[in-house]
Amino acid sequence: MSLSRRDFVRLTAGTGALAALGQFGRTAAIAAPTGSFRAMVGIFLFGGNDGWNMVIPTDARHSAYLASRGSVGIPRTSLTPLTNSSYALHPAMAALRPIWDEGALALVLNAGTLFAPLTKATYQSRTDLRPANLMSHSDEQDHWQGLRARETSRDGFLGRIADKMSGGSLPPVISLAGATVGVLGRQTTPLILPSSGGLPARSGFTAGGTAKNSAITALGSNADGYAVLDGVAGDVTRSYDQAVTANTILAGTAPTDAFFVNPTTGAALTSDLAKQLMIVARMIAARGTLGHARQNFLVSQGGYDTHSGQVQAGSTATGLHANLLGDLAMAMAGFHKAMGSLGLAGNVTSFTMSDFGRTYLGNGQSGTDHAWGSNHIVMGGDVAPGAVLGRYPDPVLGGADDITKEGRFVPAVAQEEYLGAIARWHGVADADLPYVFPNWSTWSSAGRGPLALFRA
Amino acid sequence: MSSVSRKFLAAGAAMGLALLAACDGGGGGGTSGGGLVGPAAAPSPAPTPAGVTLDDSVRLAQQASFGPTVALVERIRALGVPGWLDEQFGATGSTYADLATDVRSDSCAAGDTACTTLRFTRTPVAMRFYADAITAPDQLRQRVAFALSQMIVASEAAVRSTAGIAAFNQLFLTNAFGNYRDLLLAVTMNGYMGDYLDMADSRRGTPSENYAREFLQLFSMGPDQLAMDGTPQRDASGGTIPNYTADDIREVARALTGWTYARVGNAAATDNQAIAYAQPMIAVPGRYDSAEKKFLGTTVAAGASQQASVAAVIDAAFNHGSTPPFVARHLITHLVTPNPSPAYIGRVAAVFVNNGSGVRGDLKAVVRAILTDAEARTPQPSSGGKLKEPVLAMTSLARAIGVTTDGYVFQVRDATIAQPVMRAPSVFNFYPDDFPLPGSATLRSPASKLLTSSTVLRLHNLVYDWTVSGDAGRSEYAAVSTIPGSSGSVPVWADWEAFGDNVDGMVDRINLLLFANGLTKAQRDALKAAGVAVTIADPKLQARKRAQMMLYVAGTSPMFLVDR
Repeated sequence: MSLSRRDFVRLTAGTGALAALGQFGRTAAIAAPTGSFRAMVGIFLFGGNDGWNMVIPTDARHSAYLASRGSVGIPRTSLTPLTNSSYALHPAMAALRPIWDEGALALVLNAGTLFAPLTKATYQSRTDLRPANLMSHSDEQDHWQGLRARETSRDGFLGRIADKMSGGSLPPVISLAGATVGVLGRQTTPLILPSSGGLPARSGFTAGGTAKNSAITALGSNADGYAVLDGVAGDVTRSYDQAVTANTILAGTAPTDAFFVNPTTGAALTSDLAKQLMIVARMIAARGTLGHARQNFLVSQGGYDTHSGQVQAGSTATGLHANLLGDLAMAMAGFHKAMGSLGLAGNVTSFTMSDFGRTYLGNGQSGTDHAWGSNHIVMGGDVAPGAVLGRYPDPVLGGADDITKEGRFVPAVAQEEYLGAIARWHGVADADLPYVFPNWSTWSSAGRGPLALFRA
Repeated sequence: MSSVSRKFLAAGAAMGLALLAACDGGGGGGTSGGGLVGPAAAPSPAPTPAGVTLDDSVRLAQQASFGPTVALVERIRALGVPGWLDEQFGATGSTYADLATDVRSDSCAAGDTACTTLRFTRTPVAMRFYADAITAPDQLRQRVAFALSQMIVASEAAVRSTAGIAAFNQLFLTNAFGNYRDLLLAVTMNGYMGDYLDMADSRRGTPSENYAREFLQLFSMGPDQLAMDGTPQRDASGGTIPNYTADDIREVARALTGWTYARVGNAAATDNQAIAYAQPMIAVPGRYDSAEKKFLGTTVAAGASQQASVAAVIDAAFNHGSTPPFVARHLITHLVTPNPSPAYIGRVAAVFVNNGSGVRGDLKAVVRAILTDAEARTPQPSSGGKLKEPVLAMTSLARAIGVTTDGYVFQVRDATIAQPVMRAPSVFNFYPDDFPLPGSATLRSPASKLLTSSTVLRLHNLVYDWTVSGDAGRSEYAAVSTIPGSSGSVPVWADWEAFGDNVDGMVDRINLLLFANGLTKAQRDALKAAGVAVTIADPKLQARKRAQMMLYVAGTSPMFLVDR
């Protein structure tokens, strides 16, 4: 219940290390930490994951939890307990229990979009400090990825980190979640791969000097100077180039694929998220070939907008949400084992993100509605074993943390404090944190700062 | 290739992005405020930066149809812009009504996939979408309906009912030139939407807020207060001003309680195998919250009827000040350009407010204002251009070639190019209207979200398959035996064979239909050379193969993908 220990960041004033490392003046941003390779894997749970049913208190607070959750509360006996902790995971997430026991899982309580530190009182009195359009899917997805809480973003934190990284034969920021703002840089473009299967070859095209190829070149030129045409022509050319390289990795099978199995039945995982993480594992395995000292990934799982049927009436441990979290847990566990097989469990950190949390109070259709703060999980061999960070809200409806009557809680942890911790671990230099997180100064002073997510 | 440098294919590409004002629409001075279009002289097209003059009849066809054809361009030339629009406002042909017959969800035998496809997937409706898009004469109605369906979204990804998908999409065809309020009411009461966003079976005490929120955020006013020209209003701190609060959402949700699905036949209202998705929802008075509701400045008195509560919600949204610019911007984005000037949005929004006869929400007048505006009728400035969404790239190519189709092959292909119609991934459609143009500091390019490596390659291969490999015997063109009435697809290569050895004629036609005559002399010459390089003894076959080769080169070019 107490506030977590916080790191205090000292922003080294103007390092002056703006030595131009390439045409965009990259800083020597990634100060090579020991152990060298690092990868961040963001797992975006689209639709707004009900984190209150992903991480659940098991101590005396569980009865308050049940009292306030109404139609969607889950009985204590069916939860997935976490050793030496007063929290449990959803019953469908048993696949992550061994990873907790191994010390490679951490919990983050009540994180969300914030523009400035807020209490319920200051939320009500200071509309100028509220994030814009809270509880809107599109805006909140944008806030999580773009980190500008009161405006829209054209670029996102993973892309901006890539702006400060050196490239390779493929971009070091790779999305299996489509073209979404989080992976767009200001100077860099991400590699966007399909969630399964490879990229097709270009039918009918063979390099050479035929009249056909000359015509393709002539019509590919954008001498008209139209901005959109420039952008599209660039996209098309990049796609052709990238496909050839990417296919050497995407084709066939890879040794890391074998770890993506259902721990109970041994059957191969078939969920879309498992397929995405399989590709991530391959890309990490190929880091040497690709010339990547650092990589960032975005994967996603959809379906979390559970307004109805989130739980099965009369059997709240089952239902839509249970199916989703089961797929999530098994895919994450498989990915962690795959990293272990590469000897890289400690070099890779995976973490959840989602539009927002959901109302604590369930609705009349066994579902929940849009809310604000939510719980998240972080996985990797370098996380602080058993860490539980942030602060669980007062679960009383209309109580100390609830800005409405249905259980919409003011976040205790800002996205910057959560994601910033992972970015620093990844190697983003202190001088570059304000570039990656535009509101960094608010979240690195006055007692706020990155969570102590990692081993000292 | 470095991931950092944006690669430009030509030196001298105007990289003056920084010099472009963010909102330079280049039009200005439009005169369509009243929606009354006289026989104005066609604007004389300004030459593009490369010095070519784009054909405005083709440009209108790009904006108002599923792709230019020779017949369509000739019709526009014959009637003029206002005359052609008038003809289109009266045109008919497309319909889903005959596909909107509800069936029980247990009405297919186990394992009967043919039955399941016909009754519980988008397939029959999507086939019709494409069959009509390719050949039905009411092109503008279909384009407007398609734009509306990407603003008010319900999807097979969540609700599988062929009849429901047909009935829901028929609402857009029916109301494309009708009144926006009628459309909002019809969508709100539609059973298919009722399931998609959970208004069906929402009950007093614990109502679902799903429909209430998306109705305000996506279907009507949008989240932020807008000026009439679409620019967000700002408060003293510089922040945007929300159009509604959490309390408004809750109260609207209360006003929308007490509805459930009609049922097939005389099935009980509890029989969830008998949901009639194609019918409007019916009242369940016991679940309706009849106490007083207050939202968006409106009060619904205690005891008001369910219908009155719904009407109050519709009116509050329809009459809201942000709704005209919000709808105007969306339709302009989907028909003309994702980067309209505020003045253009303002002119169209004014017509939404008043069609010239005191009527608000007249979509016919709004569409007329969009397409006759000077900003639509003159070529885009260099800051402009609209990337074709994958569906339009596919239909435009097919219409330029010439094809008769039952639509089947199109709905197989659209899933591979990231835009399966009627199966959007969420209520937020396939892409947001404000998706940024990669590498630009200011411009929007919604369809760019879909232009991933995978889509680029699959689109390229689709073009190759339907041109160089696109002879009539292609296996994917075959009729499907498990779908009654399926006739397959037949490309009309005879039209191209008729050119004989007139390669210049073929180049002219490709230049017109795919580029609005936008090719430079050098590009024309290169295209012609690619055609001439194909030599076959049989003159008819040679003509076809030359046309296919040139259509392949043209159809895979970035220039074809960008309407200017």
